[in-house]
Amino acid sequence: MIGLFRIRRFRTRLLLIILGLLVVALGTSFLLVSRANRTNAVSHIEDSLDNAMSVFWFSVELSQKRLAQGAEVVSADWPIRELYLQPELDRNTLRSNLYSYANRLQVPIVATFDIDGELLATTKDWLTNERSAPFQRLIERADEEGTDYATDFAYLDGELHVLMVVPLYAPRPNILAWFAVTLPFDDEFASQLKSSTQAEVTFIRGGEDTSQQILATTLDPQSAQSVAAQAPTMKITASHTGITTVNDEDFVTLLTPLRVLGGMSAQIALQRSLNAEMAPARELENIILLISIAALMLATIVATAVARGVSKPVQRLSAHTELIAQGDYQTRLTPNRSDEFGQLAESFNRMTDGLAERDKVRDLLDKNVSPEIAAQLMRDGAVLGGEEREVTILFADLRGFTSLSENLSPPELIELLNNYLERMSAEIERHGGVIDKFIGDAIMAVFGAPLKQEGDADNALRSALAMERALAKLNLELQASGRPKLGIGIGINTAHVVAGNIGSHRRLNYSVIGDGVNVAARLEALTRTPEYNTNILVSAATMNAAQGVYDAHDLGYVTVKGRQEPVSIFSIENTSSQS
Amino acid sequence: MPRLFAYFLSALALLSANLRGEEAQFTMKFFHDGSPLEYAVASLTPLDFPVSLIPTSNAVVTQADKEYDPYVTVVMVGTETSFPNKDTVQHHLYSVSKAKRFEKPLYASGTTETVVFDKVGVVTLGCNIHDWMLAYVYVAPTPWFAKSDADGLAEIKGIPPGRYQLTVWHPRIKKPIEQEITLVAGPNLPEEMNLNLKRDRRIRRAPAGRASGY
Repeated sequence: MIGLFRIRRFRTRLLLIILGLLVVALGTSFLLVSRANRTNAVSHIEDSLDNAMSVFWFSVELSQKRLAQGAEVVSADWPIRELYLQPELDRNTLRSNLYSYANRLQVPIVATFDIDGELLATTKDWLTNERSAPFQRLIERADEEGTDYATDFAYLDGELHVLMVVPLYAPRPNILAWFAVTLPFDDEFASQLKSSTQAEVTFIRGGEDTSQQILATTLDPQSAQSVAAQAPTMKITASHTGITTVNDEDFVTLLTPLRVLGGMSAQIALQRSLNAEMAPARELENIILLISIAALMLATIVATAVARGVSKPVQRLSAHTELIAQGDYQTRLTPNRSDEFGQLAESFNRMTDGLAERDKVRDLLDKNVSPEIAAQLMRDGAVLGGEEREVTILFADLRGFTSLSENLSPPELIELLNNYLERMSAEIERHGGVIDKFIGDAIMAVFGAPLKQEGDADNALRSALAMERALAKLNLELQASGRPKLGIGIGINTAHVVAGNIGSHRRLNYSVIGDGVNVAARLEALTRTPEYNTNILVSAATMNAAQGVYDAHDLGYVTVKGRQEPVSIFSIENTSSQS
Repeated sequence: MPRLFAYFLSALALLSANLRGEEAQFTMKFFHDGSPLEYAVASLTPLDFPVSLIPTSNAVVTQADKEYDPYVTVVMVGTETSFPNKDTVQHHLYSVSKAKRFEKPLYASGTTETVVFDKVGVVTLGCNIHDWMLAYVYVAPTPWFAKSDADGLAEIKGIPPGRYQLTVWHPRIKKPIEQEITLVAGPNLPEEMNLNLKRDRRIRRAPAGRASGY
């Protein structure tokens, strides 16, 4: 998973990390603020719904008081008593009288009952004695408790009403009949409640397991039906509220059961829109969102700049490293900053200086000692001491150099000498030999030290032949420029010598010493002997060590200076086939 | 001790009355919740002989200070009762009781209306002008009755000895109490009776009515 999103560029990674952290921080705070806003809004609505419910109860109480007082006043009305003074109660007149009372009290239903609770007259035709059970229950209650009125909620003709029953005294406390008035919880009541509480009001008939019926509402019928349908399954919180969704809008709903006299219970649903409540908070959230986006954009710019600020010097350093790896020690970083990167650049430059210095030393070393020795010195360091090993030593000397030096100016002489040494050295190194030292116009080369190679003796012999040929070529060039020819003498011997760094601690040379070295030098000197008529003299030891086929001539034994035993020597010649 | 003495006296009286063929006296004491009860009515209806119900006197219920006075009046059936208005305002006397359904609409100060209570029962009197005005007329089928005073005492005199039905009533009684009683000549043993009453639902007189005067 992580591998998929592995970002190669440091700059991008840094940018993504900074932005990612910022997004997480801003997102989290936004979510927290948003959640807190919703919680606040819900709790605020809950408070206001509680208040609305108090207003409802208060208005019910007020209505009951109003009904009680109204009923009491009209029940004491003279005409009713006048009707009762007649031998037979004239119910029709009583009923038409009740219409006057309904008008005076602004209530839809007024009814009178005799002292036993039988209906005498009412303003509504559908209200028969059989359907007057709630009134009769109230009459019983008032009678038993001896109270001045009895009131309760009851269903009448499919509507929820507040019922009020008062005694009709003639005179008090002589109860002549019962007088009843009602106030319906209709849409008008609901909208009045809404205007004083700003809450949507719905009266629902039916409890949890019965079908719901809307009694009155401030909502449109479909919404009210939806509220009623959700009521039984609503998740009720500790504060008796829940969330109801109407037309995709969330409402905080407070459901309160109403006990209804002699009927299934009813519920009053008070609701307020969560969206409306949260509108100011939403505005704030939008502002926070805008600020967050702005901050994110700004952070992107800043982070990009910072990332570039970090990665640019790193890239420069990286490019510079590449240059140094390729051997360019001349270019320097321009430290244009004072921070860590500036210090790093300076350190880098110092390191480049050090590398250049080392390279220069190495170069000089290469020029002064053969590459192999230089490599060994670089590897093992300049340690005095040596080891015994079998090597083939080659001595080469220039003939006629002394007379040449008299005819040439010193620069011309050095140029010629260098030219000669250059070509000879090239042949020796081409054949795996190591230039031990130049002694004036003489060359001492070693094959097999410091590194033992296969066919050291052969290499030395081939090198000698190649040198002879190279000189012939050089002579052709010299002749062309009108210069005299150069001659060469080469002595080769193979022997056990001591190889190592020889000298003082301050100055030392890698070299080989031993009797065998002298023999090679003597053989080189012997090439001047006219009867040998050869440029190259090789000891039998070398010839024995060599595997190749050479045009060699046994020249017998010679006694060399500083050595008791005579040495068997051979001359080798370049043949036409060897070129 | 005084009670024992009273019993002794009455027993003595009863003995002497029987011997002389005198009338009986009967006293009741009414209580409610341990306190003496006023306005309780006791009446005695003879069980063994007919009684002459010819009224010999009139009763008066006065309307004064916007109240009926007395609160409870006991009359023998057929008694003519007058209702003088001694107030400066008019009254509108009415009753919707079964025993007497009548009204005396708006009659002026200084005038008197009369009503004959010709049916046994309780007549509740009201006034259509003043809701708080309330009075009862107990119409008894006998001349022997009494109503308790502030001490709860009701005394009936001049009763021929014999068997009677004692009826006890009070404006707030749930149901009148009836019981048989035999009276002897002279003072009889006093009867004490505790009555269970309904809550008093009488209206409080409108404050303005009293304060403003007339």
